[in-house]
Amino acid sequence: MDILKITQPEALSQDVESDIEMSDNENEVTGNSLVTPGELVTDDPVWMKGHGTYFLDNKTYSSVAGSVSRVNRLLSVIPLRGRYQPETGDHVVGRITEVGPKRWKVDIGGKQDAVLMLGSVNLPGGVLRRKSESDELQMRNFLKEGDLLNAEVQSIFSNGSASLHTRSLKYGKLRNGIFLKVPSNLIIKSKNHSFDLPGNISIILGVNGYIWLYKTPSSGRKNNINASSNKAQASFDAKGGYNPGQGSVSITRLEEESSWEIYSDKNDPNITGSVRKNIASYYNIIKALSHGELGITEQRIIMGYEASLAYGNSGSLIEKEAMESICEDVLNSEKMRGDAS
Amino acid sequence: MSRLELYSPEGLRVDGRRWNELRRFDCRINTHPQSADGSSYVEQGNTKVICMVSGPKEPSNKSQQNSSGAVIEFNVSIASFSTTNRKKRSKNEKRTIELNTTLERTFEQSIIRKLYPRTTISVNLHVLAQDGGLLAALTNASTLALIDAGISMYDYISGISAGLHDISPLLDLNTLEESGMSFLTIGVVGNSEKLSLLLLEDKIPLDNLEDLLAIAIAGSHRIRDLMDQEVRRHANLRASKLVK
Repeated sequence: MDILKITQPEALSQDVESDIEMSDNENEVTGNSLVTPGELVTDDPVWMKGHGTYFLDNKTYSSVAGSVSRVNRLLSVIPLRGRYQPETGDHVVGRITEVGPKRWKVDIGGKQDAVLMLGSVNLPGGVLRRKSESDELQMRNFLKEGDLLNAEVQSIFSNGSASLHTRSLKYGKLRNGIFLKVPSNLIIKSKNHSFDLPGNISIILGVNGYIWLYKTPSSGRKNNINASSNKAQASFDAKGGYNPGQGSVSITRLEEESSWEIYSDKNDPNITGSVRKNIASYYNIIKALSHGELGITEQRIIMGYEASLAYGNSGSLIEKEAMESICEDVLNSEKMRGDAS
Repeated sequence: MSRLELYSPEGLRVDGRRWNELRRFDCRINTHPQSADGSSYVEQGNTKVICMVSGPKEPSNKSQQNSSGAVIEFNVSIASFSTTNRKKRSKNEKRTIELNTTLERTFEQSIIRKLYPRTTISVNLHVLAQDGGLLAALTNASTLALIDAGISMYDYISGISAGLHDISPLLDLNTLEESGMSFLTIGVVGNSEKLSLLLLEDKIPLDNLEDLLAIAIAGSHRIRDLMDQEVRRHANLRASKLVK
């Protein structure tokens, strides 16, 4: 029986057909080929079935639309889109949704909320001890519903949800800034996910696509020790040369740094107009990059910022043309850099 | 029965189609990238539907949690301007509830629910215009949006309606035809001949049912191919952007 159609869209079908045939004939999976749900990926039973596939009658089918990936004998299909899938070691930004017994529930944009155990946060004052019942009772004084924090994924439970920790001074409650959400697949994983940007702004690019833009802390992370008038720290510094690695903090300093202040709800009272303006432009630049579906990196944000200086008002960046021209500028300047090096 | 001639002796229907012709089928995937995990837009003739999927996400209501698999919620809202006569529709209209339940039952089979324990997948469908084949269009829109959301499914579900005029089966009915004859709506699993949805609200002689199903299944396969084309078009577009 032949089914006809009144109007036929431009046919891509030839292309599609050849794709399927190829993988069928060769009886093995081709590198970066696209598959859609229900499509036969391979009928060779030697492959191990990974994510995005299912197995029926000795045949492996795709269950999502995406590209086939092969790692040794493991065959999986990586979906084009989808929610963030936490992995151990990811630096994420999240929002507290629930305070429960000895734990917080944190929305990190994944399929399920992550948990942050009371045991995996720093106590005010930096005392290192077991958490007692009284700590449990004042959990809401540390973090309450709606608070934003950045944390690291400590482990993944068998059902796929994540457990977080904030046992470092670079993690913890977020202040002095603005929250922004982009699709998580646009964030490119790297060694470091917090950066200082030109214009006295810092950024945390959560791997989960949650971003925090904030005023660079008045005494930058490295200078913290010098800026502080604390005598103990001064002598500590006088020992000379010993400079704790960026972000990580020695136990002695942990005590002084992590007073109740790390859980304070008060914003810095002097955030100047220019800082606010810069935050707004960065916000719009990141929105523009995500509109153009460009991967978001520190360098691209800075290039976007340079491109955005041509626009007087950061509010005008939300126009569609402006967003597209920024994306183009970023790609162009990236090409130029590529040629130069 | 009706004054209008639904199927002329020359073999032409009210809108000039033959018995086995589909209406124009147009679909778009990822139409609302910022506001939903997955989204789609489907036009089947003059029936127009927007679908937005959010999830898998933490259930808003603890009691809905199911540790063995995802809970799937459908929410069809029919705009009051979707028919030729403007009509205010309440959310709890029996007809809408029935549509929700039918779609839930259909997609519970197709989504690999066990991969998403303790989560909710909510599918919001907005009907902008109706001209017959509503359930079929809703099914197609949901399939596309679920694929866009990256949710694991066994296969496409493609829906189509088909009616019986006298003894001749007609494919993909519009409102006029739907009101003048008995019809069924089916949802077919991928390129197989398996049905995951079959809705028949009036009577059809058993002898004619097989013909009717055959033509409807063939029509569904065509719809599946058209949806597949759109998914691949979008996938290629996206893949070309991601490569740096």
